[in-house]
Amino acid sequence: MPLLSTRRELLLASGVGLLTFTLEGCARQMTPREAQQRGADLAVLTSQEAELVRALGEVLAPGSGEAGLAHYLDHQLGAGAARSMLMIKYLGVEPPFTSFYRDGLRALEDATRARFGQTFVTLDAARARALVEDIAAGRSENWAGPPAAFFYFVLRNDACDVLYGTQQGFSELGVPYLAHIEPPTPWGA
Amino acid sequence: MLPDGLKVDAIIVGSGAAGSHYAAKLAAGGKRVAILEAGPARSNADLVSSTLWARRLKWHGAPVLETGKNPVGHVFNAGYGVGGSALHHYAVWPRLHEGDFSLRSRHDRGLDWPISYDDLRPFYDAVQEEAGVSGDAEREIWRPPGAPYPMVPVPLMPQGALIAEGFKRVGLHTAPLPLAVNTQVYRGRAPCIWDGWCDAGCPIGALANPLTVHLPEALAAGATLHPDTTVTRVLTDSRGERAIGVQTVDAQGARGQVFADLVVLAAFTVQNARLLLASAGARHPDGLANSSGALGRYITTHLAAQIFGLHEQRTQPWLGAFGGQLLNQDHYDDKATHAASGALGSYQWMIAQAVKPNDLLGIAPSRPELFGAPLAAFMERAAQHFITMTGVIEDLPLAENRITLSERRDVNGVPLAAVARTSSSQSTALWDAAVLEGRRVLEATGASEVWSGSPAPMHIMGGTIMGADTRRSVANSFGQTHDIANLVIGGPGLFPTTGGVNPTFTVHALTARSAAYLLRNWRTITG
Repeated sequence: MPLLSTRRELLLASGVGLLTFTLEGCARQMTPREAQQRGADLAVLTSQEAELVRALGEVLAPGSGEAGLAHYLDHQLGAGAARSMLMIKYLGVEPPFTSFYRDGLRALEDATRARFGQTFVTLDAARARALVEDIAAGRSENWAGPPAAFFYFVLRNDACDVLYGTQQGFSELGVPYLAHIEPPTPWGA
Repeated sequence: MLPDGLKVDAIIVGSGAAGSHYAAKLAAGGKRVAILEAGPARSNADLVSSTLWARRLKWHGAPVLETGKNPVGHVFNAGYGVGGSALHHYAVWPRLHEGDFSLRSRHDRGLDWPISYDDLRPFYDAVQEEAGVSGDAEREIWRPPGAPYPMVPVPLMPQGALIAEGFKRVGLHTAPLPLAVNTQVYRGRAPCIWDGWCDAGCPIGALANPLTVHLPEALAAGATLHPDTTVTRVLTDSRGERAIGVQTVDAQGARGQVFADLVVLAAFTVQNARLLLASAGARHPDGLANSSGALGRYITTHLAAQIFGLHEQRTQPWLGAFGGQLLNQDHYDDKATHAASGALGSYQWMIAQAVKPNDLLGIAPSRPELFGAPLAAFMERAAQHFITMTGVIEDLPLAENRITLSERRDVNGVPLAAVARTSSSQSTALWDAAVLEGRRVLEATGASEVWSGSPAPMHIMGGTIMGADTRRSVANSFGQTHDIANLVIGGPGLFPTTGGVNPTFTVHALTARSAAYLLRNWRTITG
């Protein structure tokens, strides 16, 4: 058996750091990244919404989509306000937050279709970036949802949370984690 | 389980800085004390070192409906559960200055306090000894008179050293930031290891939060603590002249009543005012303790001025305390320093905060316009080269900034709080002036880039203000409401003005002064 070289590997190997997702009808312990890769069931988001979140995450913070942003959001939206770890709770939006995300994703898709005649997930990198730049600046046409710039701000921070807010994220930036109490899981049980 | 109909000497509503301190002092004085906490029980094991897990400590009780140009940011600034917002506070403990107590008299704006600095000085001294504060009183050339700190100051780390040089180059001073954080073993409590997890709560006892200092004292002295117990109404006698107890509802929805000779509301700024307004009755149609009409008015927060930069040198920005390493108050005492631009008020700089890559006060949100590859490049560089400091800007009290009751109700049938706040032109001008100064300081460090954030609310104060004039304020300087002698308010809601310093130390000093007064005059007050 190979030696486990880091505390993170030890945690993952021992099952700590995993969340419960449903795969093919069975509850499985997985990281959001694994849940994303293996297509675990979603509790709140639709598969189309999850795919859109993943694609948007890759534009906002490259790597966050693959790191499981959609399953992270899905997990947090299903957790209830008291257990939610979403930054949106700080930002003046009343829980539950599902309608905020759902309305924003719909607005993103509608704005994409109106501008390019295709879905967001099929946009090439240049078009996706141009669209997100306009949304971030609040100047997107055909936007009918939460304020565009605010939606950008929230989703960007969610993507940063997934990418940079964990022990792995700190490590990849070269930031010592220095925990008093290690998080039992990166993103809540 | 809280027995319905329980009778104690004192009910404390809320278990944060003020509530836990009142409980400790009153219980030590021989009183039977029950602490009623709306949120869940907390222990050190809940204080997980994670920016994401820390969000569970923040407010998630009844929604607060915020309006105005400068909302108070209730969820971020308020806690929920045992320890309240003090459980995740950053323990920056400077004192108010003499001039903060007489803003109206000196500048014909805002309000006066009914007390002076000299009235609070002995309590600041006693509290810093009790809770443990680190700092260097001599290097704080602006510090009002008082006993030296009981602990040596926070060590200077690379980020702090760089920014200190910037201050020096523009002719300004720095001193170690006074922190209620142990720099050595203090009264059996561990020293800090400068890992920057204060916002997630300190589980090792290095930071003077309620779980570490006053709740253990209160419980050891016989006080009882009742989490998941929401107070929905303050009860009075039939004439409306005395508080006799409170109505409660627990997490299962079971309603009850608890009776006491003294009721202390220490449920933080917004909820204290909400509870008094929602306790209106025939004798108090506009809310308890509101014969003046001042209840809910003068809600304030400090305006945070966040300045950021990138330096060529590695700064190890993750090291230190979340509140920072250094302090500057060079322009504190002359509130008219920036009068030429229409500004009025005091401000200080908290310098070289320990930062994490994400979260609202972290590195990534400091440049919200960056996304994609530029964000990734920025994060890689900023993680090693980030510098930051935060101005704490005084917010002048305005009567129209106000907590009222909404038409909407929570699950217990209590109207929600609605909070309207727009800062005065003098305060926003002061924020503008401070930002210019802050940018100049970071530029003087030789930083390759300097930028600043938007005004952000921190520290919610006012709404149940103290005052000498019973026609224009809610309580006296001991927190005793003018209308009902045995109904006492604790916490920063009592502040008539904000000064430009973090409020928790002053909350403790006021609480210590009030508790001593209550014990000394118990029969008169409760008889």
